[in-house]
Amino acid sequence: MNKEQARQIIQAAKQEGRKTLSEYEAKQVLAAYDIPVTREILVDERPALADALGKIGYPLVMKGCAAEIAHKTEKNLVRVDVRSEAEAGTAFDEIKAGMNGSGGGVLVQEMISGRRELVMGLTRDPQFGACVMFGLGGIFTEVLKDISFRKAPFDRQDALEMMNDIKGRKILDAVRGMPAADTDALAAMLINIGRLSLDIDDIAEIDLNPVILSGAKPVAVDALIVLK
Amino acid sequence: MTPSTAYPPPTDFDRIFHPKRLVIVGVSKEGLGFGAGIFASLRLIGFEEEIFLVNPKGGELNGETIYRSVADIPGIIDFAIIAVAARAVPEVLDACREKGAAGAEIFSSGFKELATEEGIALEQALVKVAAKGIRVIGPNCFGIYCPKSGLTVLPGPDLSRESGPVAFSSQSGGMVVDFTNAGKSMGLKFSKVVSFGNGCDLRETELLDYFRDDPDTGMVAMYIEGVHDGDAFFKALKRTAAEKPVIVNKGGLSVAGSRAVQSHTASMGGSREIWQSILRQAKAIQVGDMAEMAQTCLAFSLLPRRAYHNITVLGGGGALGVAAADMAETYGVQIPAFAKALADRIDEHLPRPGSSPGNPVDVANPFVPPKTLKEIMRLAATDERIDLQIFTSLIHHYKNMAMMMGKTVKEVTPYLELADDIKEVAAETGKPIIVILSNPKNGLDHLDVVDMFADARQAFIERGIPVFSDLRDALRAIGHVNKYYERKSS
Repeated sequence: MNKEQARQIIQAAKQEGRKTLSEYEAKQVLAAYDIPVTREILVDERPALADALGKIGYPLVMKGCAAEIAHKTEKNLVRVDVRSEAEAGTAFDEIKAGMNGSGGGVLVQEMISGRRELVMGLTRDPQFGACVMFGLGGIFTEVLKDISFRKAPFDRQDALEMMNDIKGRKILDAVRGMPAADTDALAAMLINIGRLSLDIDDIAEIDLNPVILSGAKPVAVDALIVLK
Repeated sequence: MTPSTAYPPPTDFDRIFHPKRLVIVGVSKEGLGFGAGIFASLRLIGFEEEIFLVNPKGGELNGETIYRSVADIPGIIDFAIIAVAARAVPEVLDACREKGAAGAEIFSSGFKELATEEGIALEQALVKVAAKGIRVIGPNCFGIYCPKSGLTVLPGPDLSRESGPVAFSSQSGGMVVDFTNAGKSMGLKFSKVVSFGNGCDLRETELLDYFRDDPDTGMVAMYIEGVHDGDAFFKALKRTAAEKPVIVNKGGLSVAGSRAVQSHTASMGGSREIWQSILRQAKAIQVGDMAEMAQTCLAFSLLPRRAYHNITVLGGGGALGVAAADMAETYGVQIPAFAKALADRIDEHLPRPGSSPGNPVDVANPFVPPKTLKEIMRLAATDERIDLQIFTSLIHHYKNMAMMMGKTVKEVTPYLELADDIKEVAAETGKPIIVILSNPKNGLDHLDVVDMFADARQAFIERGIPVFSDLRDALRAIGHVNKYYERKSS
C-alpha cells in the first residue's frame, strides 16, 4: 500500500481546482491501495503510441482521458477490441479530435474479457459516513439496483456478508463454465476502498464500474473518483 | 468539591426507572390535563411510591397537597414528570435538578418540533440544564413505562404490571402507546419502554447501551425516525446486538436522497439502502412495521433460544398445503413430508374424508377432539427432524355447533382443554408449539365468537404458548429468530 502516492495525486488535482480525477489518476490512486486495475498507459502525443501498444499488447482498449470528461462512451471516446497499429492510429486521431482540445490524452488499456460485471464504490452518507457499495455492474447497476453497503471500516467477514446480501449473489459461484469468483480478492478490494476513504478525507465519491471478473480474478476496468 | 468526581456523573437509571420519590409538575385541579392525567394513571396502574404534586396555585387534588413550587417539597426527589407550558419548563427542570432528581420526563410540547426560533431556543435551554446534571426524556413525549415500578406512559392506566423481556424505545409517543397496548393483548411483556419525543438529551443510543446491561431486558425493540450521531449509534447497536436481539423499525425511509452527486454509488445510496445495510452490518433485525415488530418480539420472548428449521403445520384452514410450504420457504423454514410409516400412524387418528396425514397435516374436520389432536401432535413430534410445530386452529366453527345445540359458543368450544394439551405435548416433546388463532367471524352478530377468541387467546398465552393471527406472521417471526441465532453461532 502506498498512501503517499494516492495523497499526492489527489493533492495535485485539488491544486488545479479540480473536482474529479481522470480515469488514469483514479486508477493510480486505487492501485496505490492494492486494488487491481487494468494495465494502462496514458499517451499524450502520437509518437508515444507505438511504444504503449507494444507494452499493453493486443487486443486493447483506447479511451479519451481527461478529468473533465465524463460519459466517455456517450461521447464516442472509447474504442474496444483494437487489434493493430493501424487501427490504433486511426482510433487515436479520432479520439483526440473528439476531445475538442480539452487537454488530456488517450488511455491505452489492456482489454479484460469476462462476462460477469460487478460494481463497487463509495458514498459518504450524511449520517453514517463512509459507506462502501457492492453490486451487479454494467448496465444492471441502475436497472436492478441490486446493491448492498457496509459502513467503513469493516472486516473480511463483513465484506463476504455484503457480497452475500445481493439477490444476484449466485453470479459469484461457478456458473456456465466460468470459475467461482475469487471472493477473497473481492473482499480485499471492498475493505481497501473503505480504508482509502478513511485515510483520504478529500474523496467524496468513488465508482468502480465495471469491475470485471476475468476468470476468477476481479479487475477494475473503469473508475471515477469525485473530490469534495 | 472533589475535583476527581467524574463529570457529568453517570446516569442513575435506577432512580429514573424506579423512583421512590416522584414529582409531577403542572397538575391542574380542573379537568384532566397531562399532569392530572398522569397522576390518575399512576394511581390506577398501582404505582405505590411517593408522588408529590406541584402547581403554583397550590391547594389539593384528591386529598393530596399541591406544592406551590418544586423547592417547597420536603427532602430530595428521584424523578420528575413535567407538564407545564414550554416557556416555564427550563426553570422547572433546573429546580428539579436542584432537588436532586436523576431525571425528568417532559410531556410539554412547544420546542424544537415547532421549528420556530423560540421553540429551538427553549430546547437549547433544556439541553443546558441537562448538562448540569439531570437526564431529560423528551420534551414532547409520553414518557416511561416500567411495569416493575409502575411508572406508566400517558395515557397508560390500563397497561400490564407484569414485567418481561422486551425493552422498547421510540421517538413517537403514539407508537409506544399502541405497541404496549398491542403487546398486552398478545402476551408480550416489557422491561422498560421509553418514548423520548424530541430526544434532546437521553435517547436511542444511550438507551441501547443501558438495555444491553440491564438484566431485566432480554431483547431491544426500537422505532427510529433518525439518530443524532450515526457513528455512536452504529457502535452501540453492534455492541448490543452481539448480546441480545435488537429489532428495529426504521420509520421514514425515503428513496435516494436529493443530494447532488456524480457517481452511481452515491446516487444509489439513499437512506433506505444505507439503513438496511447498517442494520445488517450491526446484526440487528429489521422489520417493516410495528405489527411485525410485535410478532418478532413474541417469537423471541416465548421460543427457546435456537433456530427452527423443520416444522410441522397441522390443523385446518385455507393456508394449509402448498401455500404453507411456499410461505415457509420464503422465510427459510421447511415443512418436510413425513415418512410413510409415520404418516400411516397419524392417518389412523384422522377423520374421513378430506383429511391428509402428510406434512402439513390437514385434519379437515374442525370438531376433531383435543385428545385426538394431542395424539397427532405427539406422533408428529417423533419425527426427529422436526424442531417446532404450528397448530392452525379452526375454533370459530364451534359457533355453528353452539347454534345447533342451543348452547353458548364458550360452552361448546374446548379451548381450555386444547390449551392444556398443547402445553403438555410441547413440554413432553421439548418442541415448542405455536398456535394460529384467526377469527373470520367478527361482525356484530358474532360478538360471542370475538369474546370466546379473547378467552381462548388468553388461555394459550397464560400457558406460555405463542399465539399468532396468521400463519405467515408466525413463519416470518420464526425466520427472524433463525437468522439471529444462526449468525450468533457462525
